[in-house]
Parts: sequence; C-alpha cells; structure tokens
Amino acid sequence: MSTLTKVLIVLLTFASIVLCAIVVTYVASADNYKQKYDSLYSGYQAAKKNEDNAKTQLNNTIEEKDRNTEKLGEQIASLGEEINKLKGDLANAERDRDDANRKVNNWAAIVMDFSKTIENNEKLVKGALAERDLKEAELIKQGKELEDTTAALMENMAIVKQLQEGSKRLLEEKTELQDKLDQYLRQYGKAIAEPMPITTIQEAVSLAPPTKDIDLNGSITEVDLKNLLAEISIGMADGVKEGMRFHLTRGDKFICDIVILDVWPEKAVGWIELLQDQPQNQPKINDKVSTNL
Amino acid sequence: MSPVVQSRGKKITAADNLYTVILAVAFFAVFATTVFVAYQCYTQYGTIFKIQ
Repeated sequence: MSTLTKVLIVLLTFASIVLCAIVVTYVASADNYKQKYDSLYSGYQAAKKNEDNAKTQLNNTIEEKDRNTEKLGEQIASLGEEINKLKGDLANAERDRDDANRKVNNWAAIVMDFSKTIENNEKLVKGALAERDLKEAELIKQGKELEDTTAALMENMAIVKQLQEGSKRLLEEKTELQDKLDQYLRQYGKAIAEPMPITTIQEAVSLAPPTKDIDLNGSITEVDLKNLLAEISIGMADGVKEGMRFHLTRGDKFICDIVILDVWPEKAVGWIELLQDQPQNQPKINDKVSTNL
Repeated sequence: MSPVVQSRGKKITAADNLYTVILAVAFFAVFATTVFVAYQCYTQYGTIFKIQ
C-alpha cells in the first residue's frame, strides 16, 4: 500500500470522525421544531378558541348591550312621558296654588270689608238703639197724650151728643111753631117765606185739639250742691224737656227752682237756682218738684 | 497482513491491517452518526425522510 493511500486513509478517518462529531453535536443540540410546532400550534388553537370565546362573549355583550340600550330607551321614553305628565301636574298645581292665593286675598279683602261693615253696623245698631230709646220715650209720652186725648174726645162726644139732642128738640119746636104760624097766616091769606140760612151748616165739626195743662210732678233723686246740680225722677217719657223750670218744695215751703239742662227717658238733670242760704232750706233727696205751684 | 520486521537500515512501517482498522473505525463512526441522526429524526418528527 502506498504512502499516499495510507495518508489518505488516515485523513479520511480523521475527517470522518470530525465530521461525525460535528454532526452528532449539531443534531444533539438542534431544536426540536416539531415539539415547538406542537406547542405553538396548541397555543394557537387555544388562542383561537379564546378568540372564539371572546367573540362569542363580545357578541353576547353587544346583544345584551343592545337589549339594555333598548330597555333603557324604553325607560327613558316612559320617564320622559312621566316627566311631561309631572310637568303638567306641576303646572296645574301652580295654577291651583295661584287660584288659591287669589281666593285667599279675595277672602281677606272680603273679611276686611265685612269687619268694616260690622263696625259700621255696630255703630248703626248703637245709634238705632239710642233712637229706639228716644222713640220709646216719645211713644210712651204719645200714649199718655193719646189716653188724655181719648178721654177728652169722649167727653166732647158726650157734649156733642147732648147738643145734637138739644138742636133736634129745638128743630121740632121750630117746626111746630112754623106750622102754627102757617095756620095763622093762611087764615089771613098770607104765607111765610122760606128762611134762607146765612151761614152754611157744617155737618162734620172738626174738634180742636185739647189743651193740656202741664203739671209734672216728681222728686229729687240726687243733689250736688258743690256744682249746684240736681237730678229728678221724671224724664223725657213724662214730658220733661230742656229748659223747663221746676219748683222744689218741701211740704208747704218753697226751697228753690231747677232749670233742666239734660234729659234722659226716665230722669233729668237741672241747674239749681234761687238757692237760699239757710241750711234747713237746702234741697235734699225725696224733695218734691213740680212745674206748677 | 502481519507486521513485517524489516532489516536494519530500513524504515519501520505499520502493517496494512492497521489502516484497515482505521478505515473500520471511520466507517463505524459514520455508521453510528447515521444511526444517531436517524434516531433523532424519528423520535422528534416521527419519520426519517418524509416531510410532513
């Protein structure tokens, strides 16, 4: 065997061993791509599944969102209607409130008017009561005057009746005398002329109102010598008037005069005049007063 | 081939069987590498030559 062949054998062997070592090292240290692929593929599948799940969840979420949106829209619409209704109710309530305020103001004004009217009516009632008292006093006085007038009328009617009977008797006597005179004149062919009355005969005679003698009697009910004032027990109902003069007597003794200053229905107050200096001649309660001595 | 004892003055050379052994070693190395590569391919990809 030649040297060259030997050298080549040695080199070939060496190269083979080196190459084999390199290949073994490379293969031993090479990555397992299939395993990587499988892991990546499984990761991909998991990711895809996750994507599908995410899409499904997204779709579900979108559908739920749409449903919620639709539901919220319906709620918003119903709430809007309710808001409009409440606005209408609010407007009605405000109108009612305004009406109530106006009514309150009107009633307040009416109440004030009524209060004023009541005050005026109270004043009118007081005036009417005072006037009624005066009228009652006047009525009592007129009643007394009517009684006096009725009595006088009855007396006058009796007198008139007596006069009428006398007149009738005189007319009958006159007729008899006239008949006798006619008989005498006919015997001599003469007739008497019918007498003509000079004045017309009044059938209805109007009676003059009877005069009344003012004779008022009363007594002293209170005396104020310091102010020279005295109160008597008769008043407007008995015919007492302002300015009347009453004579105050005790028994047969004259004490003083009282000139009436103010008159009430049942009493009167007057000014004491002609007061004497003696203490026993001073006016006292229950002394008699009268208009005529 | 047996080693030849040469006479004095001649170069001492290895017998031819030695080179045969070296070649066998080289062949065995290549064969072992091939088997190893095939094993690795089969265990990792499930086949030796086919590409999936």
